[in-house]
Amino acid sequence: MSLAHPVINELRAIVGADGVLADRDELLVYECDGFPIARGLPTVVVFPTTTQQVVDCVLAAKRHDLPIIPRGSGTGLAGGAVAYGSGVMIVTTRMTKIESIDIANRVAVVQAGVRNLALTEALAGTGLRFSPDPSSQRAATIGGNVATNAGGINTLKHGVTTNHILGLEFVLPDGQVVRTRDHGLYDGIGPDVRGLMCGSEGTLGIVTRIWCRLAPAPKHFRTIYAVFSSLEGACKTVSDTTATGIVPTSMEIIDGSMIRVVEEAFHFGFPTDAEALLLIEIDGIDQVLDDQLQRIVAICHENGATTVKQCADETRRAELWSARKKTFGAIGRIARSYCTQDACVPRSMLPTVMREIKEIGKRFGLSIHNVFHAGDGNVHPIMLFDEDDPEDVQNTLRCSQAILEYCISVGGTITGEHGVGVEKLHLMPKMFSSDTLDAFNRIKEAFDPERRLNDGKLIPSNRVVIELFKPTAANVPGGAL
Amino acid sequence: MANMCTEVADPESLAELVRQSLTDSVPLVDYGRVHEGVGHPPPSVHTRFCQTIAAGGDGIIEHYTRDLTVRVSAGATVRQVNEALRPTHQFLPLDADEDLSIGEVLMHDVYGPLRAGYGSGRDLLLGLRYIDGLGRDIHVGGRTVKNVAGYDVGRLMVGSLGELGIVYEVTLRTYAVPEEVRVVTVALTDPDTLSRNITNLLLTDASPTGLSLHGDASGWRAIFRYCNTHGGCVVQQADLERRLTELAGDTARVESVQTLTPEADETARTAERAWRRQADLLVKVVTPPALTGSVAALLREGGWRIDALPVHGCIFVGGEGNAADALRLDRTINETIDTHGPLGGRGFRVWYNRLADADLIAPFAPPQSDYALLCRIKSAMDPHNIFNPGRYLRG
Repeated sequence: MSLAHPVINELRAIVGADGVLADRDELLVYECDGFPIARGLPTVVVFPTTTQQVVDCVLAAKRHDLPIIPRGSGTGLAGGAVAYGSGVMIVTTRMTKIESIDIANRVAVVQAGVRNLALTEALAGTGLRFSPDPSSQRAATIGGNVATNAGGINTLKHGVTTNHILGLEFVLPDGQVVRTRDHGLYDGIGPDVRGLMCGSEGTLGIVTRIWCRLAPAPKHFRTIYAVFSSLEGACKTVSDTTATGIVPTSMEIIDGSMIRVVEEAFHFGFPTDAEALLLIEIDGIDQVLDDQLQRIVAICHENGATTVKQCADETRRAELWSARKKTFGAIGRIARSYCTQDACVPRSMLPTVMREIKEIGKRFGLSIHNVFHAGDGNVHPIMLFDEDDPEDVQNTLRCSQAILEYCISVGGTITGEHGVGVEKLHLMPKMFSSDTLDAFNRIKEAFDPERRLNDGKLIPSNRVVIELFKPTAANVPGGAL
Repeated sequence: MANMCTEVADPESLAELVRQSLTDSVPLVDYGRVHEGVGHPPPSVHTRFCQTIAAGGDGIIEHYTRDLTVRVSAGATVRQVNEALRPTHQFLPLDADEDLSIGEVLMHDVYGPLRAGYGSGRDLLLGLRYIDGLGRDIHVGGRTVKNVAGYDVGRLMVGSLGELGIVYEVTLRTYAVPEEVRVVTVALTDPDTLSRNITNLLLTDASPTGLSLHGDASGWRAIFRYCNTHGGCVVQQADLERRLTELAGDTARVESVQTLTPEADETARTAERAWRRQADLLVKVVTPPALTGSVAALLREGGWRIDALPVHGCIFVGGEGNAADALRLDRTINETIDTHGPLGGRGFRVWYNRLADADLIAPFAPPQSDYALLCRIKSAMDPHNIFNPGRYLRG
């Protein structure tokens, strides 16, 4: 019946027939994001190309009292861009204009659908870059980066998305266009709405235009990888390095099982009998990097590194980081589905936390692979499961919950960079008091009093109840209403 | 006014103060130690308060030394926190006067030259606790360096002028104290050349940890700061001298080079901006960074003193003057940031020190396009309009 919904023709009138998807087969592509456990079909998917078209689409949804689900390229890993069985999904991937690049003031103005990597490519040769670099940067949009406050492997030293956004334009669910801290200035008057919008997962407004802060791209690097016979040794190296005050660009760990998966897929030459690989990069002034590197190498050896190798040239360095970014792709070769967790813990706790995650996995009979932003304390345990087996799905979800609850208990958080989406919604009351959750809800209502915009994501809503743990509804968030 | 405030040293007392305010319908006012002049004045009937720390305390609630993070009382001063951190060789690079509280720094988004290298308080912020307008204790963020659980109310609070809630505890990143601070003072005949070339400079080894531009009756000076190892400072200074010749030719000349301890540099930075506290008139003007020099030069023509941060386009302009001078300065600034002026509408200004009778001057200009939304947020977080009512936002 949804195919005949009158909003569809209105949307076609706004963006043209080729900017609207309404056939069930076409909609299937949009039934989930990178968290395949949560699925639901929207009524219609629409691809605006301008802010005004977004406004018109929002008003059309409002006229028909339909929910709105904003979406970028759908690389999110928490179900933040999944419909609850109906609604207008507004996809920004055709808003791809890089409107200006102002080198003198280090600002790029882009539409929300510009891919992270497209901006990087556009900046080639300028010496500047947009620093956030999530593993999904080839596909992920900058609007999506804003919505999830995306991180990446460079964020340890250079910060996450919120540190690189100067201003935003977004559309409220009543069709108003708000611009905050536009004009590319490095300061503003009053409360920092841009900060609030970053990581708000499309629940407050649909980001349409972004003033990106461009930063000098580092020119000099030292990159090493250290091989460990224990994951704990690698984790302790991270903790010890942090404690010295050195701030590397990146410290990434790939655990033993993941090394073997990556090797089988890409034949990079990592030792398959290792239990952990620690990739460390530092950047800065060429003449002082060697001293820093020697200190880090010494810490690696103190913690039992069996081999420490430095990338001899830029090609090898590029290969190393490419291997790191391809790790998730390699997982796809060995399992139909996987679920990646995203807890963040104090860095000094990493050795203990990784040990406990392994134990939790054993308890649930799951083999957990790990590849993570160790320097940030941002762990990404990966659980493999069969999405067609409801029991397996439930077991995976329960294992995830146990891991996240443990991370909360040691002073960590349920999500470092992927967001809450629908996946971690049930854990929000464990992270926050009821007063704090109510404070979040009051903020939501200041933006979206009718709770039309991505309701039931990020903060629990009394209008939308998600029961991922209810077997019959496990794959359909809307089915548990 | 500061000595007439009710001092509050713990969260329980603060919550009680808020509850009393709600019962009595008397707003609570805290404009900070040096930001009295920012925004509209408070209503005539109010309770003035300020946060401090418990007697004998150092302001630090917990220092996670190995994680380089620290949880502090918002009432602790920058000096108190940095003194307490010193034995661990860490510090908070909040580049603000040492006697300001951490809360005041964040509520007014205070930053200084070191923002170029370390970021501002907004970048260091990991979590905070505050009392909201319903008297409730709210906790957002945490102690991890990445966290996207829930709305980032912490960053929303930065620069909020104390209108959304009373922040009483803050978790921040710390940094290792640098081995050396090298301060290179450069005399300039033309500040515009420096700011127009700022990106070129940032792309080199001469990229400074801190950069400020100062203009007064004696002329223009740029102060470059390098916080690094000794070897790093040597390399950076040498590169700066080379770049200055390339980029600025004979308009720039190195006047002095000092090697300071980080503590001595903290004192030096505070001294450099001390005049602002004494100034009858003081305005912050924000421009696109590359225009910092030309706008500063234009404002300097009025005989005003200038402190500017060319990396971020921030200019403080002010000096001695009367109400007529204030109006004259305000007109010049407004013409500059106006859509028809040299900034083409890409700028704003905030008065810091006005004269008490300068009612004709709006505290903030031009009107900001997110104002209506900000007022709605204020109503959501402070529904009874008890926190610094009317300072910037309509309750």
